[in-house]
Amino acid sequence: MDKNQACYLCKGCGLGEALDFDNLEEVLGESGISEVKTHDALCSPDGVALIQGDVDGGVNAMLIGACSSRVKSDEFNFGSQVIVERASLREQVLYCSEAEYEGEEEAGEDRQMLAADYLRMSAVKLAKSNVPVPFKLELEPETALLVVGGGVAGINAALAAAKAGVQVFLVEKEAELGGFLVKMAKLAPESPPYQELEDTGLEELVAQVEADDKIKVYTGTTVDKTEGAPGNFTIALSGGDTLRCGAIVQATGWLPYEAEKLAEELAYGSNPGIITNVDMEAKAKAGDLGGLNGVAFIQCAGSRDQNHLPYCSAVCCTVSLKQAMMVKEANPEAAVYVIYKDIRTPGQSEEVYREAQRKGVVFIRRDEDYPKISESGGKLAIETKDMTLNDTVEIDELDMVVLATGLKPNNPKVVDAPLVALGMDQEAAKKLAAESKAQCDSWSVLNLQYRQGPNLPTLKYAYPDSHFICFPYETRRTGIYAAGAVRRPMRVSQAVEDATGAALKAIQAAHAAAEGVAVHPRSGDMSFPEFAMQRCTQCKRCTEECPFGAINEDEKANPLPNPTRCRRCGVCMGACPERIISFKNYSVDMIGSMIKSIDVPEEDEEKPRVIVLTCENDALPAIDLAARKGHKWSPYVRFIPVRCLGSINLVWIADALSSGIDGVMLFGCRHGDDYQCHFIKGSELANVRMSKISETLDRLVLESDRVRVEEISFNEVDRIPEIISEFMETIEEVGPNPYKGF
Amino acid sequence: MATKAYDKSFREEVYQNVDSGEDVKLCMQCGVCGITCPLRGEMTHGPRQLWALIRAGKRDEVMNSPDIMLCTSCYSCKVRCPRGVKVIDVMHGLAHYALEQGIVPRKETAKFGKVFWNSIYKTGRVDETEVPMRYTMMAGPVHGIFAMLEMMDIGRALLSHKRMKFKLGPGLPPSKKIKGIRGLKKMLDKAAAMSPGKEG
Ligand code: SF4
Ligand code: SF4
Ligand code: SF4
Ligand code: SF4
Repeated sequence: MDKNQACYLCKGCGLGEALDFDNLEEVLGESGISEVKTHDALCSPDGVALIQGDVDGGVNAMLIGACSSRVKSDEFNFGSQVIVERASLREQVLYCSEAEYEGEEEAGEDRQMLAADYLRMSAVKLAKSNVPVPFKLELEPETALLVVGGGVAGINAALAAAKAGVQVFLVEKEAELGGFLVKMAKLAPESPPYQELEDTGLEELVAQVEADDKIKVYTGTTVDKTEGAPGNFTIALSGGDTLRCGAIVQATGWLPYEAEKLAEELAYGSNPGIITNVDMEAKAKAGDLGGLNGVAFIQCAGSRDQNHLPYCSAVCCTVSLKQAMMVKEANPEAAVYVIYKDIRTPGQSEEVYREAQRKGVVFIRRDEDYPKISESGGKLAIETKDMTLNDTVEIDELDMVVLATGLKPNNPKVVDAPLVALGMDQEAAKKLAAESKAQCDSWSVLNLQYRQGPNLPTLKYAYPDSHFICFPYETRRTGIYAAGAVRRPMRVSQAVEDATGAALKAIQAAHAAAEGVAVHPRSGDMSFPEFAMQRCTQCKRCTEECPFGAINEDEKANPLPNPTRCRRCGVCMGACPERIISFKNYSVDMIGSMIKSIDVPEEDEEKPRVIVLTCENDALPAIDLAARKGHKWSPYVRFIPVRCLGSINLVWIADALSSGIDGVMLFGCRHGDDYQCHFIKGSELANVRMSKISETLDRLVLESDRVRVEEISFNEVDRIPEIISEFMETIEEVGPNPYKGF
Repeated sequence: MATKAYDKSFREEVYQNVDSGEDVKLCMQCGVCGITCPLRGEMTHGPRQLWALIRAGKRDEVMNSPDIMLCTSCYSCKVRCPRGVKVIDVMHGLAHYALEQGIVPRKETAKFGKVFWNSIYKTGRVDETEVPMRYTMMAGPVHGIFAMLEMMDIGRALLSHKRMKFKLGPGLPPSKKIKGIRGLKKMLDKAAAMSPGKEG
């Protein structure tokens, strides 16, 4: 594409008074943009019309020097074929700097230099940007949906997708649909006034599935193999059938925590009267609750316990309330006790708690120690701490003790090695990762034919890795969504909601694949990584480090990218030592050249320069907000947005330091167990890579203090000026970069 | 060591016989009532623990708990209980239930109640001089004089502000009766006949 460039500078919002626009035009001219127009309010209809007129006249690449790219994005959108590069003169120059600084040779020069540098960088970026051409799959993209797991979540996902007009394949490993619903007697009250136990509604659900000609059901079937990528998955089923689908919902539900492991603490297995809540449900289903005069439920049986399941399963309290009500319904005279640590009744289940109390169920709060269960005279007895009475109490004459055990995801556990924790020792980290992958090789739900293994990466408890609040259904395999109790413990009504959400996300993913655009978090992005394969050394870094397993490998270890699996994070670009991976509008060369375009004053001018490679997802908006709140910081700092800290190639830091920049900071999201990285592993990888930066610094004979990684979250806006001034002090102490002027 | 085992008979009894007794079922042991009670420093158990004792079936501890007679009917707990337990009603209900069975959980309260009742019944008003005099004298004249000497400062202050009338002793001079004391007596008799417990 031939670029016809122009630049538009805005004089509104106080910019006109604050900056010398003649000087800016000169700077732009030096940077190769001769067509420069100014306007008093560029975002006004008049300003937009000015630009539109030029676009109609053939301008197809423009630099807009006005406000942050995060605002006015509709006004400054001139279609996908026009490249728009925004220099944030308002937030990153005007709002965050002072009009004058002490020691300036000419009043206001620091602010003017800041603006000039941003325009230089933007001009380079514009020159190096190309219009992305969306990736097209070779075969006709497929939009059908595969739902694995025919329980309440799977059925509802299938129904929701079918309702949206999508062809669905519903695969269930048991001979009939329904999952755990088949085994359930009743549901705890799910609708107002939350007092009556409810039917499972399973028959009705199955009938709906059967009546829907958009849903094809495979019972008694599992997935042998999942090959391909979103928009073009090929699924081999255990029955021999092969399907093609565009996206997948995994709704494989849960497994009860093994009560056998509670033999020591809760005497499970020692007496037929000591049963689990799952056994109890079966009894209720069989109508076998008659003749019970004394029943006790022990909550958190193996839950919220570091030796068993460390987390709260969120449903077992409600389940015990329901089962206690069932016992009371069968025999109102029965003495029913619930011995708990905390009653946790999310949503409207608090009403269920009240109803159980009204029915006369007695609640006893215990401490962390498990109650002691013993046998006496053919009945069971419990000795427990009663926290309210601050005493040990005894409950005897019990026919049955029900252990309220928790839920585990029906999904194999795959945990990445904690890369950062292992710091420099990458070999050890990789070994650990390989070990944890090997542990679950014997079990897979989807049998993904992915270079990084057959299973969805998981968090520590084998729940698929995702963000519970911001992007709940997303897994670390694009186009594959988790729904229901496999995602987190949840009850039936929540699973129904979850299934709908996941189904809609899956449909969206299939469409995005067909159109060649990214899904969350860069939804709509048309760029994708391209590999200059002639120079690839088969080092495997990209195939190993891609957080989303997007890159397969052939036998010779050549990377085989799958662009529809890709989230466009750029982690591969940051990893590649040969620097052969680039996007149409984001590349190692582009950012490197931007850094080199910064004007570095001579040492005796005493104006240090610091660059901050800034994550676009959280840190950049935080900086905008800080500026808008009126925070000021050093005018020697220049922010350079990056897609993810993981996309930072170490060569940028070497480039910066060798061109006389005094310090480099990385602003990104938190990593670790409670990470906030939008690309999950990006900031963690950046930290690992930075731990190795000392080699580079040693080679350049520079102090390691010149490079720092900072974790910034959106709610830490007020910390930003502090962090910057602290770093500036460090830089002052270390002294000017000796490479200045080379 | 384990104290007495849970026993369901007493809680059933309370649910059925005590005023608002069924509310006890609904308590979720949050402790708001106990901590909000102005008498929390004086109470042995407080409402929350009493409810737990009822559920555990500890009849003796509940029926003899002075707390059920310490309640001043301030309503703080009832207003604040997130479960809508009518705490004060149950407290008084329990006191009545105890008295009915001849248990007096807190003798001072019972005695004071008697004097208080008598003053109202006979004169139609609570006489600020008469009631404390009679109450302190109940343990004998010597005890009474000492107790009254202890309260001399308060008495002087009340007198000087005309909040109290001077008396040489109980009935010296006798308290004034309200108009229509007969009508009031009738009403009180009727109320006493309706109440399950004894007066006071
Ligand atoms: S839901 Fe209740 S029983 Fe289950 S783990 Fe949580 S607190 Fe324990
Ligand atoms: S690392 Fe990121 S950009 Fe590269 S292939 Fe994977 S998802 Fe795509
Ligand atoms: S405030 Fe109500 S719910 Fe809380 S402990 Fe007291 S009676 Fe129970
Ligand atoms: S009403 Fe009685 S129990 Fe309740 S807070 Fe007042 S004094 Fe305490």
